[in-house]
Amino acid sequence: MNDLRVPIGLFFSIVGVILLITALTSHSTAPIGSENVNLYTGGCMLVFGGLMLWLARRAA
Amino acid sequence: MQVGFQTPRVQQPDSLTVDSDARERVRSAGRVRLDHLTLSFVDYLILALYFGFVLGIGWLVKRRVSTAEEFLTSGRSVPVWITSLAFIAANLGAQEVIGMCASGAKYGIMTAHFYWIGAVPAMLFVGVFMMPFYYGSRARSVPEYLKLRFDEKTRGLNAIAFAIMTLFSSGISMYALGILFQLVLGWSFTASVLLSAAIVLVYTFLGGLTSAIYNEVLQFFLIVLGFAPLSILAVTKAGGWKGVSANIPQVMTHSWTHLAKASDNPMGVEIFGLAAGLGFVLSFGYWCTDFLVVQRAMAANSMSAARRTPLIAAFPKMFMPFVVIVPGVAALALSHMAVGYSIPLKPDGGPNYDLVLTTLMAQFYPSGILGLGLTALMASFMSGMAGNVTAFNTVFTYDIYQGYIRRNETDAHYFTVGRITTIAGVALSIGTAYLASYFNNIMDFLQLVFGFVNAPLFATFLLGMFWKRSTGHGAFTGLLSGTLAAAATHGLTVAEGKGGWLGAVVHEFPSTMAQNFWIAIFAWSTCFVVTALVSLMTEPKPESELHNLVFGLTDIPHEKAPPWLQRPAVLAVIVIIVLVGLNLVFA
Repeated sequence: MNDLRVPIGLFFSIVGVILLITALTSHSTAPIGSENVNLYTGGCMLVFGGLMLWLARRAA
Repeated sequence: MQVGFQTPRVQQPDSLTVDSDARERVRSAGRVRLDHLTLSFVDYLILALYFGFVLGIGWLVKRRVSTAEEFLTSGRSVPVWITSLAFIAANLGAQEVIGMCASGAKYGIMTAHFYWIGAVPAMLFVGVFMMPFYYGSRARSVPEYLKLRFDEKTRGLNAIAFAIMTLFSSGISMYALGILFQLVLGWSFTASVLLSAAIVLVYTFLGGLTSAIYNEVLQFFLIVLGFAPLSILAVTKAGGWKGVSANIPQVMTHSWTHLAKASDNPMGVEIFGLAAGLGFVLSFGYWCTDFLVVQRAMAANSMSAARRTPLIAAFPKMFMPFVVIVPGVAALALSHMAVGYSIPLKPDGGPNYDLVLTTLMAQFYPSGILGLGLTALMASFMSGMAGNVTAFNTVFTYDIYQGYIRRNETDAHYFTVGRITTIAGVALSIGTAYLASYFNNIMDFLQLVFGFVNAPLFATFLLGMFWKRSTGHGAFTGLLSGTLAAAATHGLTVAEGKGGWLGAVVHEFPSTMAQNFWIAIFAWSTCFVVTALVSLMTEPKPESELHNLVFGLTDIPHEKAPPWLQRPAVLAVIVIIVLVGLNLVFA
């Protein structure tokens, strides 16, 4: 493995997608708080993962 | 049912431990009814995905590891951003994450001193002043540096004490995780201990230190991204930081203004004890001499990278309180606000701060992100344990096996020994985890003794690196007398019913935290004075043998005018400015 950013980017992108799918398919909310937390955090994870992958690609 | 993490220990100011009463309560926890968190499919999916990636990284790194040097020390080949994040992740164990949140609820934002006057200044010191000697000496471990600088007996003392302590701290943290998952998720203690230990074993066995370091970076991001939403949600719910401040006593949201007298703040410490005990002796002792963290910097691919490792790590480190401590502070505010959250209670009715983090997660995280939060908890446990295992196998292989058992063998031989030691280290950690669950008092006693052993260490390194006249006999007797001074201080003072076993009680501290800080101060001072006196009476090493080991006899490489942002001094100054700013905001 040459660039650690690739597995890290992949991991967070996949987690981001999983959270986004969860956010869009189920409306489970936590006992306190009505926000759709999965939507926001999933989005952030996907952006972070994508950024890591982009940085790795740019360096390669 | 408390898990008992919130008493910071002498040996590792940042990690927190399990007290014996807590263990007693936990052992009967099976009989107490508790509503377990229920995980759904998506939560397990994220956890499984994480396990897959961790093992995958170990597998990919394996191809690069073919010698003992690569396995145990990464062959000095790791880029600086990776060593920097690993430097803090190796210390960011589950006990720290849970314990810091607990302390946030118990002591307020003052807990951030473990980072702001504790870790960060020490990290600057090790990067700017000490790394040239560690890295430049080409020692493969901290005990090996002591051998080169002083003598065989000083190294032996440090290596053996370190190896034993690493195993126990790895076992204790494994025990803590097993108990927590049993309480919160209803998982079997044995299953969570064996599963997590097996995964750590596989990836450290496959890829050695490089694999541990690479995974620590993944774990670092996971811990930050998994817990930061909790901090944001809890503070937002309380109405922002203003809302938090309005709902709890003023002392909980100020880190400096209530430090004049020990009785003014919930930690029971005053400014000198805090600055000298925590800020100087304990933190410098840990961050500057503990091989667990120093090993990460020594794996860097150049002297410049090794020096910048702790300096770059200081940036994320000083913001960690917002991720791990602030949720605890916000939890306390929320519990006063009738919004549906309350601090969990022990069976006797007192607050159980150790469950603050997990109850916050249960209240704020829906399925999905809940899985991510628990994965982050698992990751923090694994990064702490892998850190211990990789430090243990290096010290055992090079400082104990090669030093005292088989001296002149081939690299392939030591490679095999390193791998077997990895397996043995994990097995022994599991053993200590079970020991912790059966013999509470023995574990408490051992942790106390380890604290005594560690407290004086920084004096030895300071004199060794900056005073060429200090000698091996001086270092050895200094370390032993510092340890005895620590034990004597503990035996002659009392705090919260602890200590005073020497009969006569000379002083009573308002808290065990204050007692720990003062034990450290006495141990350090004794070690410093004894080392200096004995050194003056004994024969020093000739200067020719001290090249690259001592200040004044070391060529710090002059790299051709590095870009200014890569100069250690410049980085250190930037860190200090940001640090002072943070302290002013939360004064």
